[in-house]
Amino acid sequence: MKAISELKLPEDVRYTDDHEWAKKNGNVVRIGISDYAQDQLGDIVFVELPEVGSTFDKGEEFGTVESVKAVSELYMPIGGEVTAINEALADEPERVNSDPYDSGWMMEIKASDPAELEALKSKADYLEMLKG
Amino acid sequence: MPACWWIDLPETDYKQALDLQLAVVSAKTAGRLDADVILCVEHPRIFTLGRRGGRENLCVTDHFLAEKGVSVVPTDRGGNITYHGPGQLVAYPIIDLNRRRLKVVEFVSGLEQAMILTAGHWGIDARTDPANRGVWLNGDKLGSIGITVRRGVSFHGLALNVNTDMEPFTWINPCGLDQVRMTSFERHLNGPVAMAEARQEMAAHLAEVFGIALTTVGLEQLYAEIELGD
Repeated sequence: MKAISELKLPEDVRYTDDHEWAKKNGNVVRIGISDYAQDQLGDIVFVELPEVGSTFDKGEEFGTVESVKAVSELYMPIGGEVTAINEALADEPERVNSDPYDSGWMMEIKASDPAELEALKSKADYLEMLKG
Repeated sequence: MPACWWIDLPETDYKQALDLQLAVVSAKTAGRLDADVILCVEHPRIFTLGRRGGRENLCVTDHFLAEKGVSVVPTDRGGNITYHGPGQLVAYPIIDLNRRRLKVVEFVSGLEQAMILTAGHWGIDARTDPANRGVWLNGDKLGSIGITVRRGVSFHGLALNVNTDMEPFTWINPCGLDQVRMTSFERHLNGPVAMAEARQEMAAHLAEVFGIALTTVGLEQLYAEIELGD
């Protein structure tokens, strides 16, 4: 497992206490899980994502990841309507481990309140939380 | 360090034990229960499926199971189909993993270690297998793991075959693995061991592996604590 100093934590995404990330991508917000999350979960064998068109509030469960006999729930960093999911994860869930911020993204949403994004943790705040 | 309660339940229906787990998880995620809780239990005969199912690994008909009086229930845990029954030691650690700084992979490995150490008390040389999770003995599977993590709190857990009747395992491809044979302490030792002693060993080894002090607490006290905030 990675030491905190080895984690990839991009500056241009926002983080949650539950280790999801969110990033503005044109008119939508892209969502995934952080390098810390994928590292502590171990090899991911399945990603369960919602239907396009479903809507969730901030903090609501939107899916799960399964790794090492463990199902872990995923929570919305911000509220919104799902506009796309990363279909490639159905066959290659391991992308979440190898490339959590790019090809391992999970879904895109139309934010119900764009201000919620700004309220999430910056890299510095997230790093501070991880260091405890 | 936060307290961790060990609760020895008598043989308890699967659904009833799951409802208790969910009540403890809710109390913890809502901040109404500070202590972590480990439920230790045996279940009447039942098959359970994982979050992704596993019914395709059931090798007998519904009619056959109905005749045997064994039901199949879906669950939201990790892993595939498995069997629970009397003589199988089941532990459900409901632990705030974030607070204890336990990573999911470390937690699952710790559950495997606790099963291996428990088997070791009877001189049984169980091992992990890098290709497949769980605990193995000479190529046969002795113990299984399937957990769920909700807001950083674990539930579901481990199942170790101590004196389990092994026949129902032949009705499935356990854990979705073809050609896997299950085994038990009783089969390996050619005789049963005392379940009460196995439960004590499991408690001691879970405490040791995770570096936590366990306090034995009665079910009544747990109920009282969970209902406090209602």
